Amino acid sequence: MSGRKVEYFFSFRSPYSYLSGPRAFALADSYNVEVEFRGVLPMMMRGQSVPRAKALNTLRDVDREAKRLGMPFGRIHDPLGDAAVRCLVISELARDQGREREFVLVASRMIWSEAADMATDDGLRLACEGAGLAWGDCESAIESPELMERVEANTQALADLGQWGVPVFNFNGERFWGQDRIEDLEASLKEAGLEKS
Amino acid sequence: MPSLVVRLARNDRRARIACGLRRRLGRKGRVELYFAFDDPNSAVAVIDLAIRLDDFDITLDLRPVVNRGIPDDPAVEDKRRHAIDDARRLFKRSGLTMVRTEPIRPETTAFLAEWVAATPRGAARSAFCVVALKKLWLEAGPEVDQADYARIWERNFDRPTPVPHLAAVRANEKMMKRRGPYDTPAAWVHGQWFFAHDRLSQIAERLDDLGWRKSS
Repeated sequence: MSGRKVEYFFSFRSPYSYLSGPRAFALADSYNVEVEFRGVLPMMMRGQSVPRAKALNTLRDVDREAKRLGMPFGRIHDPLGDAAVRCLVISELARDQGREREFVLVASRMIWSEAADMATDDGLRLACEGAGLAWGDCESAIESPELMERVEANTQALADLGQWGVPVFNFNGERFWGQDRIEDLEASLKEAGLEKS
Repeated sequence: MPSLVVRLARNDRRARIACGLRRRLGRKGRVELYFAFDDPNSAVAVIDLAIRLDDFDITLDLRPVVNRGIPDDPAVEDKRRHAIDDARRLFKRSGLTMVRTEPIRPETTAFLAEWVAATPRGAARSAFCVVALKKLWLEAGPEVDQADYARIWERNFDRPTPVPHLAAVRANEKMMKRRGPYDTPAAWVHGQWFFAHDRLSQIAERLDDLGWRKSS
């Protein structure tokens, strides 16, 4: 490990974040970098507006992109509000246990392709246990102010970078916004000599 | 509701029937590309698509706009700044180097949109857009001198610049909004729209899928 890091800003309410997940976490398999997951609150919970036209066209575009990437998409339960917050604090717990990759991939797939309601214990428990987390730990985490503070710190860190949308990758002072910019991030990782042989 | 939007978007029958009908009537396919001269990602899209779509039996209808984006967007300046870095990387994918390092204010290049909107569609208009966008983003220094672009116009069209046509620019903006896109560059391709700089190959795939590739 070279000690280099890619910060990965992600929102459970962003379908583009969902699309980015498998490739984002896989960066650590192909490059000598640590992928640091940083879950942030949805745009609409950060005081930003999402016009209807944007929301509709995002769904249409993501549907095409999901098909291209071979990812399931289309049966959706909008996680705005409690569902997003619960997923975010569990992500922090999962980070502590080294299972954030598993949890983020499972939970986001369930939201965007299985219409799982993460605001309910039934929905969230399936995602947690699917990621190898103990439900008892997760129940405690949901009420944890410390974990919520970490989510808020992630959200502030994104704003401090001058970024608004997600997914965003921050590497070596450069910001890459969008699931379709992972190839540019990879070019930078290669230029930095971080490709695994 | 989101699931329903996705289900409805997958029904492409109307576009396919319309394209078939157009072909039977001897008409070409059509890509409307809404772009802004002050937007580096528009430069990426126009310069690329002008070449990429040569392989298709379509009309590339370049429609310049000035006003666009999310109303009262608090991130508008961040987005303009980010677009510079982003476009530099996208140009790099095509082996091009973007020289400009600072955003351009929309009003600075509004005259170009007004000239283009005042001119009938066609190869000369498209060629001018490509040359002007290359000059703005790939060649020129920080200042935008209207006289430089007037000379390009005269060389390209063999006539002086037209009377600026603000109403035509506003009509493009209105049509863009009606189609659904809220920002540039946006390509409308027979019932579906794409953020053009992000989806260059997907636009070509859509045209292929709808049967618009030129037969060899």
